[in-house]
Amino acid sequence: MISIQGLSFRFGASPRYALRNVNLEIAASEFVVITGPSGCGKSTLALAIGGYLFRQYDGETAGTVTVAGMDVRGVPIYDIAEVVGLVQQNPEDQFCTLTVQDEVAFGLENRCLPPDEIRQRMAWALEVVGASHLVGRALATLSGGEKQKVAIAAVMAARPQVLIFDEPTSNLDPTATAEIFRVISHIRARAGLTVLVIEHKVEVLRQFAPRLVALDGGRVVYDGPMSAGERVSESANRQVSESANQDSEQATHYGTRLTEHAPRNTPHASRATNHGSRTTHPPTPPAVRVDDLHVGYDDVPILHGVSLEVGEGEFVALMGDNGTGKTTFLHSLLGFLKPGRGRIEVLGHDMHRVSTSRLVRQVGFVFQNPDHQLFADGVWQEATLAARNFDTLDEATQARARDLLARCGLGDRQQDHPYRLSYGEKRRLNLVSVLVHDPRLILLDEILIGQDAGNAAMLLDLLCEQVRQGGTVIMVNHHPDVTSRYASRLVFFNDGKIIVDAPTADAFRQLAHLGLQAYLPNDHATRITNHVS
Amino acid sequence: MKPRITYQPGDSLLHRLHPLAKGGWMLFGTLLVFAVHSPWVVLAVLGLVMVAFPLSRSPLGRVRGTRLFATTALLLGALQVLFVHRGPALVRMGPLVVTAGGVEAGIYVAARFLCVVLLSYLFVLTTDPNDLAYGLMRAGLPYRYGFALITALRLVPVFEQEGQIVYRAQLARGVRYDTRSPHRFLTLGRQFFLPLLVSALGKVDSLAVSMEGRCFGKYPTRTFLREVHCTNRDVAAAALLVLGVAALAAVLIVI
Repeated sequence: MISIQGLSFRFGASPRYALRNVNLEIAASEFVVITGPSGCGKSTLALAIGGYLFRQYDGETAGTVTVAGMDVRGVPIYDIAEVVGLVQQNPEDQFCTLTVQDEVAFGLENRCLPPDEIRQRMAWALEVVGASHLVGRALATLSGGEKQKVAIAAVMAARPQVLIFDEPTSNLDPTATAEIFRVISHIRARAGLTVLVIEHKVEVLRQFAPRLVALDGGRVVYDGPMSAGERVSESANRQVSESANQDSEQATHYGTRLTEHAPRNTPHASRATNHGSRTTHPPTPPAVRVDDLHVGYDDVPILHGVSLEVGEGEFVALMGDNGTGKTTFLHSLLGFLKPGRGRIEVLGHDMHRVSTSRLVRQVGFVFQNPDHQLFADGVWQEATLAARNFDTLDEATQARARDLLARCGLGDRQQDHPYRLSYGEKRRLNLVSVLVHDPRLILLDEILIGQDAGNAAMLLDLLCEQVRQGGTVIMVNHHPDVTSRYASRLVFFNDGKIIVDAPTADAFRQLAHLGLQAYLPNDHATRITNHVS
Repeated sequence: MKPRITYQPGDSLLHRLHPLAKGGWMLFGTLLVFAVHSPWVVLAVLGLVMVAFPLSRSPLGRVRGTRLFATTALLLGALQVLFVHRGPALVRMGPLVVTAGGVEAGIYVAARFLCVVLLSYLFVLTTDPNDLAYGLMRAGLPYRYGFALITALRLVPVFEQEGQIVYRAQLARGVRYDTRSPHRFLTLGRQFFLPLLVSALGKVDSLAVSMEGRCFGKYPTRTFLREVHCTNRDVAAAALLVLGVAALAAVLIVI
C-alpha cells in the first residue's frame, strides 16, 4: 500500500535533515505505530505520505513515496486524499466549520457528492467512531475526546484506504485517550484500513500488537514487531543505533529516576488525609491555602467549593479529565481569575490584598503551549527576562541562568532566537526561564504534552531539584506513571471539585476504587488487578 | 463576568427569520436613522429596537459592553446639549446655556448612536453566524469567501483566548505595561503579538492541510448538505423591506 524508498527531506534553509534515507514498505491493512523523540521526523513522515510535504513546504527532497501505486510527488493532493486521510494532532486546528454535521460533511460537499449520499456517509462515519449522539452539537461545546472523534469521522467519511493519526491523544486526558485508542482499534477491525499511528504513548498501543517503527534524527532506527509481552525499550534495543539506545534508556528511567527523590517528598505527603479535600495543618506556613473556592467564566461555574492546602516542599500532581477545573485552579492561584467566592492564600499572601505583579516574584508559572510564552529575541534574553523585569539580574542569577541552560542542552544556543529551537528545547527553555529567579512556588500546566521520555525526564529532574531545595511544585499532568514516580501527593479533580487528595500510592488506590482505571499507572493497575483477582 | 456579545440560541420570530432578510432590515434601520434628519423618527426606530429585545428574549442587560455604550450615548448627548446653541434658551446658569435646539440635537445624536449599536446587537444575538455564512453562499457568494467568513468566526474566540494566555504569561514573567516610553511600548507590543503570530501561522498550516486533504477547492462549485430555509414569512419580510427602501427613497427625493 505504501512504499517509501530512500526518502530524505530538509526544510527550507535548515541545515538539518528532517528525514534521512527512510525506507519503509507498509502492506494493506497493516497497523503501524511510528514513534521517536520530539523532532525526530514522525510528523514530517506523515506529511510526506499524504503528499503535503512536497506541495506546501519548501525544501530539498530525495527518494520516492508511492501510495496505492501513485507517486505522491507528482499527483495533486486531492487525488492522494482519496486514498490517504490524515488526522492531525489538535482537532481544533483542523476544523473548517462550526458544527458536527458541517464538519463531517465538509469533505464530501467539496467532492460535490449529492446530499443523500453525504447523509449516508456521515451517519456511517459518526457511527464507526461512536459519535452519532453528537449530531446537532456545535464543535465549541464538545470535550477534547469528542472533538477528536469528530475529526476522525470527518476524515473517515471520505472512505480512505490509509488513515494516519498524528499524535491523536497528545491533548487528551487518560479517559479520552483510552477511548480514542479503542476507536482506532474499532475502525481498523470494522473498515479494514491501513492504520498509521504516530504516538509517544506506545505502551498503551501494545495490546493491538502493531508493527513498531522508531525514528531518531530523521532515520528509521527500529522496524519490527511490538509484541504484547515485551516492553518497547526491550524490543527496540535489539537493533537500534546508539542514539536510540540512549532514548530507550531515557524511556526506562522516565518512570524510575525519581524514586531517589520521592522519600524527600513523602513526609509532607503523609500529612494529607486519605479521603477528604483538606490536609491537616503543616507545621510551617503552607505554600498554598485555598478555602471554599468558587470560580467561573461567562456565568458558567467551573470550580465549586475547592479547598486545598499545600505545604512548602511538596510536589503535588493535579489530575482529572479535561475541563474539570485544573487549569482554572492554577490561574486562580496567581490572581488571573477572580473568585466568585472563597479565599486564596499563596506563600502567606492573601490574594485579595496582593497584586499579581508582586506575587510573581516568588511564583513561576509555565503554561501549556511553549510558543505562548517566548517573548525575547534570544535564548539568553528569554532565560533572564523575568530576572531583568524584577531587577534581580546580578552575577549569581546570571551564573544560575548559564548553569540551567547548560544542563538543559541550551548552553551553546544562547544567541539563537527561541523560535529556532525544537519543541522539546522550547519546553526546557520555558522551564529554565521561570527557574532562573528561583521561585518558591512553581505552577505547571501540562508541560509534558508532546514530550518524549528524554525531554520529560529532563524537565522533571529540574523540578525535583527545586523541591529538594525547599521549593513547592504543583503540576497539572495526564501521566499516571509520572505522577506515581515523581509526585508526593495526588489531587484529583472531577466536575470542578476535588474528589481525591492523598499521598500518591494511597490516591491511586482510591482512584482504583472509583473505577478510574485510565488514571492508574501501568504497574499499579496490574498490581491492583492481581490483588483483586 | 457577563457573557460576550455572541449568538444566543432561541426560537423567537427574529431567531427564525432568514439571516439575509434580518440583515437587510438591520441595514435599513441604520440607513433610516442617518438619512432622515428627525429625532422623532430616530426615537421611533430606537423604541422599536428596544421592544424587539424582550420580544426576542435576548438578554441585553446581561451582555458585556452595554453599560459602556449607554454611558457613551449619554456623554454624546450631553456634549450636544452643552455646546449646541440653537433656538430658544431653556436654562441659563452663568456660562451654561441649554437651548431647545441643543436638547433636540442631544436626543438625536444619542438615540442615533444607540440605534446603530443596538441594531447590531440584536442581529448578532439572534443570528447563528453559521446560518449567515451558509445563507450568503446559497445566495451566490463564492464558497471560498463564505468559508473565509466561517474560519474567521471560528478563530476569533480562539485568538481572543490565546491573547489572554499570552498576556497572563507575560504578567507571570514580570512584564509590566505601565510604561511611557514609546520604544518600550513598541517592544512590548512586539513581544505580545509575536507569539500570536507564530500560533496563527501554525494554525494556518494545519488548516491548509485539513482543507486540502478534504478536497477544498477541487471544483469551482460544491454541494451543500445544510439547508437554510426560506419561508413565506421570510419572503414577506423581504417584500416589506423592499417597500420600506422604496418609501425611504421616495421621501428623500421629495425632500
